[in-house]
Amino acid sequence: MQTSRIRLGLACLFIAWLTGCASPANRQALVVSDAPAATRHPYSVSVSTSGGGETGSMDYTNISDEDLAGAIEESITHSGLFSTVIQGDGADYRLNVSLINMSKPMFGMDFKIDMEMAWSLIDARTGDVVMREAINSTHTATMGQAFAAVTRIRMAVEGAAQENIRQGLEKIAALKL
Amino acid sequence: MKLHDTLKYLLAVLMITATLSGCAINKATSTVDPSADLSGLKSFHVEKYEKDKRDTNVVIEDKLREMGFQVADSKTGVDAVITYKDKWIWDITFYMLELNVSVREPGSGFPLASGTSMHSSLTRKSQEGMVDEVLTNIFFKNRKEGATNAN
Repeated sequence: MQTSRIRLGLACLFIAWLTGCASPANRQALVVSDAPAATRHPYSVSVSTSGGGETGSMDYTNISDEDLAGAIEESITHSGLFSTVIQGDGADYRLNVSLINMSKPMFGMDFKIDMEMAWSLIDARTGDVVMREAINSTHTATMGQAFAAVTRIRMAVEGAAQENIRQGLEKIAALKL
Repeated sequence: MKLHDTLKYLLAVLMITATLSGCAINKATSTVDPSADLSGLKSFHVEKYEKDKRDTNVVIEDKLREMGFQVADSKTGVDAVITYKDKWIWDITFYMLELNVSVREPGSGFPLASGTSMHSSLTRKSQEGMVDEVLTNIFFKNRKEGATNAN
């Protein structure tokens, strides 16, 4: 009987290791803080995001729109890409970022997340679209980084989003505004 | 206790897990890029998802025609290209767990709009129902306004 309970406990642990409760992506883990912009645009920018969502306990790790917007704003501030980040109306440029696609592997030792975001930048004065880019990024979280599957998934999602933000800011830095 | 007893336990735990994770998850979101205007799009090409074995592309094409749009066999000359990813899962029968549809600019592939629906087992929808929900959300419902950080 005792052996049965041990086996049952091990089975539960195995299942918990494979699945577990999902946790949302951490905003700070998305921030790109180590990449000063090659170009510093002397304008202000506002950031809006969409396509993200909340993470339910039985759901897959997701990125909330608020956290994505906050991470992009913070990354812009760190990089110096624009002179100021404005919340709300009144900015010289409006940056819109939408989370379009994210792969959702369920099982595995290593979790690889593929992510696509749509980046568009609009000149607020003229309404002209100065950039439209579909940016794809990938990140893999390995067993060596975290034992629990849910943690590896979250780390992979955060890594893919951070890489996407990095690429997005590089694209904007390459623009002549 | 033999190996098959352990397997029985594992199966039991898996069933409990499947039951718990089968709790109703309903999501239906859509977003249109602020730089895009979908009202001018009249003709589409649906690009078949390479992993699609259930002809969801045909269901999307039929729905687009029902909505009054033109559907072309090639990308040439169309206003936008539709791409999608469908995810199916088994629970007594196979059903579509999630459908993600994107409306893209033909040349650049830029996603002008996208929509996702997810319904788990207890609130499952038919393939046609999922396609209808996503396309209706993209083309006819008020787009979800992007979040602007309020901090």
